Amino acid sequence: MVDLTALSAKHISAEAAKRARRRNASQTRLKVTGLIAIGLAASALVALLWTVVGNATGTIKEHYVTIDVPVLAEAFSPDGGELDPVTVGRASQAAVRDAMRALFPFAETRKEQRALSDIVSSGSPFELQKVILDNPQLVGSDVEVALVASDIADLYYKGFYGRLEAVPTSTSVRVESSTDSDEASVFLQQNVFREVVDAVKIELQRRADRSREAAQLQDNGVRAFERRLETASTDEQRAEIEVEIASRTTERDRLIGIAEALENQVQTAGTADTLDNRMPSVLLKAGGGWIKLTQIQQQTAQGIILEPMGAGEYAADEWTLLVNETPEVSRKVSDFQTVILEDLKDMQAVSSKFNMRFLSSGDSREPELAGIWGAAVGSFWTMVVTFLLAFPIGSLAAMYLEEFAPKNIITDFVEVNINNLAAVPSIVFGLLGLAVILPTLNVLGNDDFRSTPLIGGTVLALMTLPTIIIASRAAIRAVPPSIRDAALGLGASKLQTSFHHVLPLAMPGILTGTIIGMAQALGETAPLLMIGMVAFIVDIPEGVTDNASVIPVQIFRWSDLPERAFESRTAAAICMLLIFLVIMNALAVFLRKRFERRW
Amino acid sequence: MKTIINEADPSVQKDVKIKSRDVNVYYGQNHAIKHLDIDIQANTVTAFIGPSGCGKSTFLRCLNRMNDTIDVAKVTGEILLDEKDIYDRDVDPVQLRAKVGMVFQKPNPFPKSIYDNIAYGPRIHGLVSNKSELDEVVESCLKRAALWDEVKDRLESPGTGLSGGQQQRLCIARAIATAPQVLLMDEPCSALDPIATEQIEELIHELRQDYSVVIVTHSMQQAGRVSQKTAFFHLGDLVEVGDTDRIFTSPIEERTQNYVTGRIG
Repeated sequence: MVDLTALSAKHISAEAAKRARRRNASQTRLKVTGLIAIGLAASALVALLWTVVGNATGTIKEHYVTIDVPVLAEAFSPDGGELDPVTVGRASQAAVRDAMRALFPFAETRKEQRALSDIVSSGSPFELQKVILDNPQLVGSDVEVALVASDIADLYYKGFYGRLEAVPTSTSVRVESSTDSDEASVFLQQNVFREVVDAVKIELQRRADRSREAAQLQDNGVRAFERRLETASTDEQRAEIEVEIASRTTERDRLIGIAEALENQVQTAGTADTLDNRMPSVLLKAGGGWIKLTQIQQQTAQGIILEPMGAGEYAADEWTLLVNETPEVSRKVSDFQTVILEDLKDMQAVSSKFNMRFLSSGDSREPELAGIWGAAVGSFWTMVVTFLLAFPIGSLAAMYLEEFAPKNIITDFVEVNINNLAAVPSIVFGLLGLAVILPTLNVLGNDDFRSTPLIGGTVLALMTLPTIIIASRAAIRAVPPSIRDAALGLGASKLQTSFHHVLPLAMPGILTGTIIGMAQALGETAPLLMIGMVAFIVDIPEGVTDNASVIPVQIFRWSDLPERAFESRTAAAICMLLIFLVIMNALAVFLRKRFERRW
Repeated sequence: MKTIINEADPSVQKDVKIKSRDVNVYYGQNHAIKHLDIDIQANTVTAFIGPSGCGKSTFLRCLNRMNDTIDVAKVTGEILLDEKDIYDRDVDPVQLRAKVGMVFQKPNPFPKSIYDNIAYGPRIHGLVSNKSELDEVVESCLKRAALWDEVKDRLESPGTGLSGGQQQRLCIARAIATAPQVLLMDEPCSALDPIATEQIEELIHELRQDYSVVIVTHSMQQAGRVSQKTAFFHLGDLVEVGDTDRIFTSPIEERTQNYVTGRIG
């Protein structure tokens, strides 16, 4: 027999104190680990939001170029009668092009003219077309119209392609240009190129290093073949290897030669350094014209005239030396376009405003014209279909399984399979939609429903159902049995008990499950790819049977496009998706609060 | 055949409301009620007493077929309500429960307003035809349950916001609102304090005028206070039935004697 009073003495022993310390220590450890975990999760979230929102800021504003466009009566209204939209559209395109060319007459070559036409968006003539169709009396006059800047112009003004920094100068400059070529010579009183030269030397040194590295690789090759030569058995092999060694040695020596020449140029001061398109752009602006410098040497420089200027002497405050650190080769805006963009800015023709277009228009191949609204409306209609199918079917199925179905092997089988379905990859549901639901709908509706919210919503509803059923069953099971007893005891039928008492009490849980499922469906891309919702759709869908895309698919498509302006639009679309999700979750919280009752 | 002591005192003899003959209840393998015969009289409070697990609640739940909701429960024998077997094929348990109301151990008002709690029964059974009739039913039921004065100003506030005793009286009011003939009470006071218990007991006294009341209780004092008839259950057997006074003062069976004197329990 154990002496319990003797046992109770152990409560005050040193071991008991140690046990208490260990217990407290492990509790503290758990708390600290928990805090660290939460901190990590929070910082990951902050990092995500920071990147996405930071990237999306590039889409907040868009730039416009406001110029006077002559609207010629003979082009816009050849027969003098009613305006024909097609004619006006074509004439607008020509008028915008001609107005830009008139503004920058020095764009003479085909290449320069193409560069010029890339400044305003290819969609901008529509602005003019709209203005003219709305105000026919303007035909025959000069119309001031704000044209959307192209994606590259927009990005240039936002500083994505580097900034033109002025190099401080306090000396006069003399420009001499030859009459028969674009080339010009520049003479200065002082050496103001020091900084530029330093940058150039650094770049040259880098190239020399690269050349030496390449030479080293060739040298390694030579060594390897020399070793192989020692073990080679036949003369034939020997000859082959010697050929290899010879070619590698030549290549190595050539590379070393290049590196030495470059290093020599880096070390010698006062030589003429050539600026190519991998080096910072150096532009000289004077007398209303621009020169791009191609070769600099202490106080003189050679350059190409981008915009003609008068030859002669310019005082210190009449000219500026501008440097863009981003080399021409790594930006989409050429130096020629830079000149035009800067000229437009000097003319005060450039303005920026809130990018309403992004929030109100559909998709486009041109980044500056592309908007998220089409996809957002598509998502809305898809979610409407998903909700209308998944919520009633899911909650009623859960109600049947919990309250009415007999507990036997069949319902067990159904339950197991519902749980398994929740884990089925969503693309499988896409295949089901493609192979079964879409053809069935097409036959029933006698129409093609590919790419419509109707089929998309149906597939997503199927995908969401298991989640809703599982959550709803849990919510129904959580309703206290005493409520069922109370209702049954009053003579309510099983159906009345379920729908008058159990369902309202389970509703907060059912709604939470539904919203979780819907949020999952909102972010789903894979199954929608299968049923054609990945198509390029410009029009904003007006119902569940119009072709549509959805936000996640739009994000997926934009992220794949090469234009840099789509980068910020992708981020902005992600922000829209997040906003959608927040709205849905807020709705869930609101509904839960509304339906929540104490018992 | 075991001996069942059913006293037939002509002075207190009333109509028999419920008659059970050879009732057996099985929960799967467990034989919970064994060959039970009892007569429950109209306008009488009948108390079921006995130690835990003796089957008194099980039998009570047979009287309005609440055991139907338990999959493994099986009932044999006959229970006659007004000479009609309630386990007959053509008896609808839903209608039966409207006639045999029930109050549970733990107060379980619906998470709705006080008014809606009472009005639910009359509404689903179509007992009233318009709002003013419903208002009258709610008022009279709350008055019968001695709750009217406490809640008349806040009929729209939730029934779950009342105190435990008030909630239980609300449940009683809700049960009588469906106009039952029999009222079953499964330990209605076990979750209540002595003052609330006293109020409920007074209420049971009142209710006896119009209903047959069957009450399951653990408290022998309560059985003594509220009931006219007492039935003692032990291990699934109905040991003894009789006038409450006699059961407590001069029980015939030894097991009853042992229980009421506190030797078993």
